[in-house]
Amino acid sequence: MLRIAIIGCGKIADQHLLAIQRLADCEVVALCDRETLMARQLGERFRIANVFGDATEMLGSARADVVHITTPPQSHFTLARQCLEAGCHVYLEKPFTVTAAEAAQLVNLAANRHLHLTAGHNYQFTPEMCRMRELVAGGFLGGRPLHLESHWSYDLGDASYVGPMLGSRQHWVRQLPGQLFHNLISHGIARMAEFLDDEVEVVARAFQSQHLRQLGGAEVKDELRVLLRDRLGTTGFFCFSTQLRPGPNQFRLFGPTNSLVVDLISGSLIRCRSGNYKSYLTYFVPPLRSAGEHLRNSLRNVRDFLSGRLYQDSGMKQLIELFYQAIRANRPPPIPLREILLTARIMDEIFGQMGAATPPRPAEPQLNLSR
Amino acid sequence: MPASSVIPDHRCLVTGASGFIGVQVVEVLLKQGEANLRCFVRPSSRMKRLQEVIHRYDAENRVDIVAGDLLSRDDCRKAAADTTVVYHLAAGFDKSFAGAFMNSVLTTRNLLEAFREVGRPGRFVNVSSFAVYSNLNLPRGALLDEASPLEDSPQERYDAYAFGKLKQEELVRDYGQKQGVPFVILRPGTVFGPGKRDLTGRIGVDTFGFLLHVGGRNQLPLTYVENCAEAIVLAGLKPGVDGETFNVVDDDLLTSKQFLKAWKRRTGRRFSVRLPYFLAYGLCALWEDWSKRRKGQLPPAFNRRRCAAEWKGNRFTNRKLKERLGWQPRVGMDEAMEAFLSQFDPATS
Ligand SMILES: NC(=O)c1ccc[n+]([C@@H]2O[C@H](COP(=O)([O-])OP(=O)(O)OC[C@H]3O[C@@H](n4cnc5c(N)ncnc54)[C@H](OP(=O)(O)O)[C@@H]3O)[C@@H](O)[C@H]2O)c1
Repeated sequence: MLRIAIIGCGKIADQHLLAIQRLADCEVVALCDRETLMARQLGERFRIANVFGDATEMLGSARADVVHITTPPQSHFTLARQCLEAGCHVYLEKPFTVTAAEAAQLVNLAANRHLHLTAGHNYQFTPEMCRMRELVAGGFLGGRPLHLESHWSYDLGDASYVGPMLGSRQHWVRQLPGQLFHNLISHGIARMAEFLDDEVEVVARAFQSQHLRQLGGAEVKDELRVLLRDRLGTTGFFCFSTQLRPGPNQFRLFGPTNSLVVDLISGSLIRCRSGNYKSYLTYFVPPLRSAGEHLRNSLRNVRDFLSGRLYQDSGMKQLIELFYQAIRANRPPPIPLREILLTARIMDEIFGQMGAATPPRPAEPQLNLSR
Repeated sequence: MPASSVIPDHRCLVTGASGFIGVQVVEVLLKQGEANLRCFVRPSSRMKRLQEVIHRYDAENRVDIVAGDLLSRDDCRKAAADTTVVYHLAAGFDKSFAGAFMNSVLTTRNLLEAFREVGRPGRFVNVSSFAVYSNLNLPRGALLDEASPLEDSPQERYDAYAFGKLKQEELVRDYGQKQGVPFVILRPGTVFGPGKRDLTGRIGVDTFGFLLHVGGRNQLPLTYVENCAEAIVLAGLKPGVDGETFNVVDDDLLTSKQFLKAWKRRTGRRFSVRLPYFLAYGLCALWEDWSKRRKGQLPPAFNRRRCAAEWKGNRFTNRKLKERLGWQPRVGMDEAMEAFLSQFDPATS
């Protein structure tokens, strides 16, 4: 039985608890939040009696095997280091750390202590993303991916988040080097990092949408476009937007033969095969094949819903389950640490180019980045 | 000047002052000639309605606007400094339990602490809500009053707002008992009036793309925003009611069918599907059981507790409010409905 603890009892902690409740052989033994009232309300709702207001105290008495850290990003590094030093495996919510240098330090520390570490990139483990990975591994693309496109969006209509953030320079989101982007783009970048080599050239442009301007966010940027190219020649395009409708959450992979489109909004994986059709058939057959793909996805989703396999946040449950399995069997974690580091480095680079002040980067420790 | 007040030389603070009810509370206070008024808003709050009211009463010099966030203890100290009466209306309407809890409970804790430390605590008026009641075990048509049972399982009701308000009340009582902060709790029913166009959830749901009208004969616990604001202001000024709780509903309450009919006539929206209460209850029970069996595959948004709370149909009373606070709904139901519906007239909208 794995003993689990959670530090940070805000909105995302509920999702973690719901996902963990679906898993066998693990138990949440403690909750911790600097605001003890927050820890208590979560404990009361999920019937967890052991609540703490101080992480040191919790680590000392709860005897947790794994700690999930679901606090604002500024505290990720310190808390994760503390947990690793206390001998706990760590699931660290996204964005993994504020800087890539911090990420590297955590990865080193975990490696030295033979502990497992993962980032909350749960969208990489939704059913359609898992099916995509299987197809790529099975050679569907006809070779390694040559070009990647990742679209990620966020709806600024959620006034409860955006209002206070725009209203105060002191808001924790505004204190991050990448501000709004920092808290929102990890998922979209992480899925590209999976298919990129470690050395990546980045060109980033950020600007403000008209909508945000109307909301009064004078200094905040909410539109981001990024071009990427790695050493092997794989290229990528990342788009983060608050103004595109319907808000996209898509990942496209183009190979030498075929391509794939993963649509995370509709839970679909579309296979796009090359074909040579004579004359007007090129107008008739491919749309039909495409319709067939969409129909297949729709039927699969209905079937999975009825059988109970499809549910909200299934990506998080899957990631947590794989992470716990890796801990139990002492196997490599579900997200290779190389990808976590690369995601952090790409984000650092993007924020650096945005013109926002990035904290000075300490020299990065030497790492073995192979899988 | 107000007819009676808890502390002479008082200074009032209104939190959530730019909100739907908050603006009216400010207006009532200004109308009464309140000379020392502080309004707490967030830097991102929409200020137009509040500014209009202040301007209308030529009260720029009498009103001190403080911008901040009640989640910040420092901001709470700025808000509470030297105040004697706090009208606490700010609340969390977030859909997540944590979000609602933060903006209803942490904010209240911070404010109570600040009130104790840097205020001159005369009275803390906590604006709660009917959402805290549970009528699950009350028969249909039974009277729901201040002594009725409170929700004991907000998680099962899947109502983050109700959870926040319940915990907020608990906290206020706790500070009252242990720290001696005098308080009054007001529980308004459904507050309506110009400035709020949405139909109350007590009429039905529009989750599925059309209006599903649940029940029909159930009485709505309506209170017109001006009447409600007057009750709130009275609760801060009337001596001898410390520690009391008051429900706020108007006279001559309408049924959900009557309300919807008037709304449809005025808005021109005709389409809705009527669902009898017993059928709604059955469907909610099925939804809830499915959700449990499938470990939340469908969030338990529809469930027995919520169904009862919103649509079962109880009778409501304002007797205590009238007897103890001397409140009377100044705006009658017909006039209130006219004012509410007039915002849908083409010229107004
Ligand atoms: N409306 C009803 O039918 C009804 C019924 C029963 C009880 N109530 C209670 O009446 C009170 C007022 O409701 P309302 O309808 O007027 O709602 P509203 O218009 O949404 O007002 C709520 C106010 O609270 C403010 N607020 C929220 N979090 C805050 C924070 N952290 N710091 C500072 N201010 C914060 C909001 O500021 P922003 O403007 O910046 O968002 C807003 O002005 C609430 O306590 C509610 O529970 C309402």
